Amino acid sequence: MTSIGTGYDLSNSVFSPDGRNFQVEYAMKAVENGGTAIGIRCKDGVVLALEKLVTSKLLKPGANKRISTVDRNMGVVSAGLTPDGRHFVSRARDEAAQWRSLYKAPIPTAALANRMGSYVQAYTLYSSVRPFGVTAIIGGWDSEVEVPVDGQVGAGPAVGAGGKKEGEKHGGPYLYMIEPSGLYWGYYGAATGKGRQAAKSELEKLDLAAGNLTLEEGVKEAARIIYVAHEDSKDKEFELEMTWVSSLSGPTKGRHEEVPQKLREEAERLAKKSLEGDDDEDDKPEGEKMEE
Amino acid sequence: MFRNNYDNDSVTFSPQGRIFQVEYAQEAVKQGSVVRNAEELSSYQKKIIPIDSHYGVALAGLASDARVLSNFMKQQSLASRLTYDRPILLSEITHRIGDRAQTNTQHYGKRPYGVGLLIAGVDAKGPHLFEFQPSGVTQEMVACGIGARSQMARTYLERNLEQFAEASREELVKHALRALKESLSQDKELTVDNTSVGVGGVKEDFKLYEGQELSGWLETTFENMNTAPEPEAGESMEVDS
Amino acid sequence: MNHLPQAWGRPRDDIYGAYNHAHLAPSHPTTHTQSPIVTGTSVIALKFRGGVVIAADNLASYGSLALHRREAAEKFNDKAVLGFGGDVSDMQYLDRYLNALAIRENYSSGSGAGEKASSTSTDASEEERAESLDNEGAGTGMAANNLHKYLQKLLYRRRSDFNPLWNHILIAGLSSPPPNAPDASPQPFLKSVDLLGTAFGAPSLATGFGAHLAQPILRRVVPDEEAVKKIDEATAVEAIRECMKVLWYRDARSLDRYSLAVVTKEGVRLSEDERVEGQSWEFAEGIRGYGTQVV
Repeated sequence: MTSIGTGYDLSNSVFSPDGRNFQVEYAMKAVENGGTAIGIRCKDGVVLALEKLVTSKLLKPGANKRISTVDRNMGVVSAGLTPDGRHFVSRARDEAAQWRSLYKAPIPTAALANRMGSYVQAYTLYSSVRPFGVTAIIGGWDSEVEVPVDGQVGAGPAVGAGGKKEGEKHGGPYLYMIEPSGLYWGYYGAATGKGRQAAKSELEKLDLAAGNLTLEEGVKEAARIIYVAHEDSKDKEFELEMTWVSSLSGPTKGRHEEVPQKLREEAERLAKKSLEGDDDEDDKPEGEKMEE
Repeated sequence: MFRNNYDNDSVTFSPQGRIFQVEYAQEAVKQGSVVRNAEELSSYQKKIIPIDSHYGVALAGLASDARVLSNFMKQQSLASRLTYDRPILLSEITHRIGDRAQTNTQHYGKRPYGVGLLIAGVDAKGPHLFEFQPSGVTQEMVACGIGARSQMARTYLERNLEQFAEASREELVKHALRALKESLSQDKELTVDNTSVGVGGVKEDFKLYEGQELSGWLETTFENMNTAPEPEAGESMEVDS
Repeated sequence: MNHLPQAWGRPRDDIYGAYNHAHLAPSHPTTHTQSPIVTGTSVIALKFRGGVVIAADNLASYGSLALHRREAAEKFNDKAVLGFGGDVSDMQYLDRYLNALAIRENYSSGSGAGEKASSTSTDASEEERAESLDNEGAGTGMAANNLHKYLQKLLYRRRSDFNPLWNHILIAGLSSPPPNAPDASPQPFLKSVDLLGTAFGAPSLATGFGAHLAQPILRRVVPDEEAVKKIDEATAVEAIRECMKVLWYRDARSLDRYSLAVVTKEGVRLSEDERVEGQSWEFAEGIRGYGTQVV
């Protein structure tokens, strides 16, 4: 960052001569210091996972949940400044409620990502505000069945004009990641925070685009990836927080919920085991990481 | 005048992604008991504020900021009883002031609150203790200390952490007083004039104890203290930075 | 120039003529709902030892026209059921409103990602789930008394804005334990709130025609709170069914299909397709003094 100190990085919404907005880049630095957060889009649902570093022994274990529900079918996890994450979630909930009151139906995950992208982007435009110090991952399941509008009489035309498109598939799992710049993409696997590089390379190995990974496998992979991403800051304790959302016929019945304790503990046990295995077989990648 | 170019306001990130103004506000919390003045013509600053019958807050930092926040909490708590016929959840009220504090860190022309709070009491989900920081960070704790030299108090609390879950009401008050004593500078003592204790419990409204009400607790607590001195006390001095 | 301050800045009367105030404000006042349009009739409810039973028929009337069927009783969560009398569109509005409330409740009842409510074993069909009227997450936060207080404030606010929601609502369920006795078992709760925001509770309650026809019968079964402790669920349900029959006989805007819900600590049992059984219209023979009868 050669332009640091030239004055173009002191105010939000100001371009440097080479076309960069430094304040946004600095906000991303805040994200990089936060615990790792990941999301995995499986064939029958989405998993969100978060590494929460234990900053004090006095913290109440298991409390201080940081993955939030939006509407009933979506979850948000973020890395970076926690209060900014709460601001983000609060806005997302408002958007979801507003959508419902206008359209009498839940907001699709893609539409929420779009709206939140616009909201976050607006915080890069003015010198009177600072950008969000978070990168947020939104995971949701859009209902695959017809959701009746309340009070509707009749079902309307089944197909054709004014009706449905024949053979069209509705709903499914969705995953988006929104950065401090407001940029967002849809993902099969998303990672942010301190351990994102390690997490990303693990996610790439899963070949998620093929769409074969089941939700339960996804939970186990998510736990393992958080443990792998934690390797760099091994000296610090952490708590693993995981949530998921499945189809209506799946374990969460279309709702975003915490992964049940039993399954989470099982996933953590497997994660620890696979790490121990790694240590025995190839110490090399470990050592390389340490040198970075 | 400024330490660097990035600490003029709370809407500027430093190249490392820090917001110095917010960090400086946290320092105001550590100034804690400076607010408490001990001049003879005035009384000590009240540092525990009962909010609703089921909970109260303790403050460290700018007392006037705490008053703004506690007034807000009183309004919200009454509104909950009025419109929902139920005492507000401690997690809920803590999040609300956390969200308010966050707004102050993202908009130009505002400043972060210069106060830290401990929010303690009992709601429908049981006993709770939350810590609130000027950054808007809120955390649920098992035990906590904030303010000047509070590291010493926290060290005491960490060392006795396992006992709290099983401790009786009286034992907890003693632990609290001992932890508070740790944070005092060498020549100071806890007295009925400079100490107050707030207690909230299941089937017990939050109540503030002051003055002579404390004499019994102070006497019994520090008698014990003399008979069983903490050997590690000197060691933990160095932890304080 | 006119020296009176009221005239400053106004066109001069001697040149332009007197100001026509009709241009300033509409000649008629702003009006909101003056009467309900499509309506539902009676809702009746009765407390018993350990719970509450509530029933309402499934007819939506447009004046004297039987228009269509309606949902009359709605489960809010495992602790509360609502019965709506009055305007059906206002009921549907309130339904949406309460759904939004339930979603908000779900946010705070868990500390983050909705902690699962205590009873997750409801065998709701996929469609029911998708409709998300069954607000499981609100299980921990909102008991019937909380919901009632909220609706009372809402309806009173609306009437104070001269824009009332034209409903009379019964809220039946279990109340949250008092703060000084958190382990106390939840008590049966039954209160009403009307379009003015007037609210009160009683061992038995009825809206609309039911207040005239069913209430006396119900009061015979359960005259006071003491009596509530003495009758069981079966007796209470039987009394309610009897009243639904009387209402079907006598209320010309009623239907012989009704919804019936029972709330106990086991949860809510809501059936939306009950029928008036064992009808006998023989009593009609004995009625004299109305219609075309001569003798």
